[in-house]
Amino acid sequence: MTREKVRKIEGIIALSLSTLAALFGLFWLVFILGDVLLHGMKALSPSLFTSDPAPAGVEGGGLRNAFVGQLMITACATLIGVPVGVLGGTFLAEYARGRQIARIISVLADIMVSVPSIVIGTFIYAVLVKPFGHFNGWAGAVALAIIMIPVVLRTTENMLSLVPWTLREAAFALGAPYYKVIMQVVYRGAATGILTGILLSIARVAGETAPLLFTSFNNSFFSLNMKQPISSLTVTIFQYAMGPYDNWHAQAWAASFVITVFILALTIAGRLIIKWRYK
Amino acid sequence: MSFAVITAFASFTVIVLIIGILYVLIAESSLAAGRFGVIKFITSTDWDPVKESFGALTNIYGTAVTTVLALFMAIPVGIGIAIFVTEISPNFLKGPIGVAIELLAAIPSIIYGMWGLFTLSPIMSNYVEPFLKKAAAGLPLVNILFQGTPMGIDILTASVILSIMIIPFTASISRDSFNLTPAVVKESAYALGATKWEVVKNVVVPYSKLGVFGGIVLSLGRALGETMAVAFVLGNNHRITTSLLDAAATITVTLANEFAEADKDVYLSSLFYLALILFVMSFITLAIAKFFLLRAERKYSR
Repeated sequence: MTREKVRKIEGIIALSLSTLAALFGLFWLVFILGDVLLHGMKALSPSLFTSDPAPAGVEGGGLRNAFVGQLMITACATLIGVPVGVLGGTFLAEYARGRQIARIISVLADIMVSVPSIVIGTFIYAVLVKPFGHFNGWAGAVALAIIMIPVVLRTTENMLSLVPWTLREAAFALGAPYYKVIMQVVYRGAATGILTGILLSIARVAGETAPLLFTSFNNSFFSLNMKQPISSLTVTIFQYAMGPYDNWHAQAWAASFVITVFILALTIAGRLIIKWRYK
Repeated sequence: MSFAVITAFASFTVIVLIIGILYVLIAESSLAAGRFGVIKFITSTDWDPVKESFGALTNIYGTAVTTVLALFMAIPVGIGIAIFVTEISPNFLKGPIGVAIELLAAIPSIIYGMWGLFTLSPIMSNYVEPFLKKAAAGLPLVNILFQGTPMGIDILTASVILSIMIIPFTASISRDSFNLTPAVVKESAYALGATKWEVVKNVVVPYSKLGVFGGIVLSLGRALGETMAVAFVLGNNHRITTSLLDAAATITVTLANEFAEADKDVYLSSLFYLALILFVMSFITLAIAKFFLLRAERKYSR
């Protein structure tokens, strides 16, 4: 064989391998999503959303408590995490722009994004569960908020940096103080981007399980009291899937289906907004 | 002015949280640290709640083995995907594949875990593991890795799930780094008569190796701290095993399974100690990843 042929064959082999790798990745996505959709559809029923769990081992019942609990925990986490994240990002992109401190906080926030969520759970357990003597919904919400803050902070910082500096100068020239410029000019220019960041951060925390295991814990009864243990979809999925009953497994699939569709819809919506607004 | 102060406080929460987490974990683990010391805790294989004797080695071992195996499987696939997307795929496929990778990354880890327990684990125990066992039977040393009955609840299954989870991270960061290679450099190589693979191998990869390396270390950091994806299929077995077909325990799995049930102070404190070790390990890993990614960024912007 000539040298040219060897090089060509080598190229063909390597490129087909990477094509295979791409197909391999797609295969898992289709496999996992298909499986969740298939099993989830089968177990989906109106009573899943309208009734509370039946006693262990008894057929029927639903996960109303978990749906409501999950909504409450996620909503409270958003209410805590988003303002802190947006304001923090504002500081980095506006008041501290270009300073050393802004760079340090950005890097730390990037690291915080990937810190194991279960570690945050143990931290909150020590701070918000142990002193009160019992698991409570607020602890879960704060744990999720801590995961949310760095995500929102970093996207806000990036989005604010995209607003042209001349826009601010135009507002300064009209005599506006800096905080008014930020509120009325910069935020308006970056609103879509910040909103997208918030959507994606909600998608990120809605599927978190580990930080809730020993903060909000679980509750098999319907409860709206954030000061007591409160049920969440993800912890319920963990408990039901590890449990011995078939109808628990079916309900775990159904809950996974709902949460997966919710998160993927948020993610896709976020991506579409970015594409539509910034390209 | 007051607005500036409020925003400053908001951004300092990040620093406060990191220091707070470190402080609280150290304070809570001081009981175990006092009883077992540092070196002894890390090198001891004990995990006995009844005798109140605890060591972290089995957990650290489980974390290390699953992470390394998962990276071993995920890196070639991730880089392959990145090569496909940047160099081979026709333009109309680039968008959809990018979205697919992002969706794979967005699926919550608990879904991976449950899918692993109900779908992957039976496949592993019925088909893949008996096959591997048979294939390895004649090979000395290798067969040690596949001893025992294939149950599907073991290190191998957990590593496979973990690798599927980290493929998207490796793939998307490698893709972004590959994309930064200037077209002029690639075109010069083509003009010298290089094939597509030679351009990838000799131009694109060397040019973007800092970014790719950063992406791999970032995936490593993610894999270290992953909890729910492995909690379902790893069992919770505090023993050091040489076989990949045995159950094991990682730091995260131990925390997830035992934290809410720890009834004694030393037990709880030891779990906090584990959490501290995990926090320090992943923080250092992620900081290294960030260091490489920042250096890559600086190099490209020049």
